[in-house]
Amino acid sequence: MNEETPYSKEVDEFISEQIDTVPHLEALLLLWNSRPKQWTVEEMASALYVSSSTARNILQGLARRGLPVAGLGTPENYRYESISRKQDSLIETVDAAYRRNLVRISRMIHSKAAPGIRDFAQAFRFTKDRE
Amino acid sequence: MGPAVYILSALTFTACAVLLLRGYLRMKQRLLLWSSLCFFGLAISNLLLFLDLAMLPDVNLYIWRLATAAVAVVLLLYGLIWEGE
Amino acid sequence: MIQGFLLGIIVASSVMAGIFFLKFWKRTRDFLFLAFAIAFIIEGLSRASVLLLAKPNEGSPWIYVVRLLASLLILFAILKKNYGSKDQSSFGPVSGQTK
Repeated sequence: MNEETPYSKEVDEFISEQIDTVPHLEALLLLWNSRPKQWTVEEMASALYVSSSTARNILQGLARRGLPVAGLGTPENYRYESISRKQDSLIETVDAAYRRNLVRISRMIHSKAAPGIRDFAQAFRFTKDRE
Repeated sequence: MGPAVYILSALTFTACAVLLLRGYLRMKQRLLLWSSLCFFGLAISNLLLFLDLAMLPDVNLYIWRLATAAVAVVLLLYGLIWEGE
Repeated sequence: MIQGFLLGIIVASSVMAGIFFLKFWKRTRDFLFLAFAIAFIIEGLSRASVLLLAKPNEGSPWIYVVRLLASLLILFAILKKNYGSKDQSSFGPVSGQTK
């Protein structure tokens, strides 16, 4: 059920700092699980059950935060683009955690602070490492 | 000692303002813009205080110090109310 | 008259901003917000101490001390966020380039 496994703190931190909404997380994990498949915005929109513009915002948002998401070409196709092996294994861990604890993680995302507040805190990081 | 502490706070607030401005340019989050402006205003207010105490004995900048600080914190409050949620 | 008016605005707004930061700290448990909350609240309260002064223009020693504490607290919070003790490298070595 809801046991605190050793890795959940890392997962929680990642989600708390980088993930705005549940569709954001699902988009990232979809890209991860299907890599190196390239997705169009429309494909992602129907996979996430959101509108095209929402899907575009989500994908652009993920890329802009420095997550391993790359948009290429016009019109942009998006795919998972690995940045570091350590980050890849983190994403893998997040994926496993989300499969096991979907309710807990969704609830955590929904109860998070507004993105403005989070961005305020992140602005005070000198380097972009965690963005 | 002395008025140097106001230089310290002016520098601190300037650093905050710059970091927040950089964050705003990156993330386009309006709260960062308002709070950046606030910290710039507070930096100016502290700088004026330093000038008032240490360098310009015949000029009284009190009203200006108060005015800049007041505007600054009101801007922050505006940002917190509208953009913090 | 106008000085009192401006001072009132500063005190009220500072304390309110501090309370907002307290709320954010409670939600995110990020020490940075607590630092700002304390800084703004004690700033606001100390400015109110001008009511006890004979010559408000010169700034009371309270203002001085509080300003120093607030600045140091904020600087400490920023440094802690960037160089704090807990492992910050769960993302691994990112070279900093992004899209």
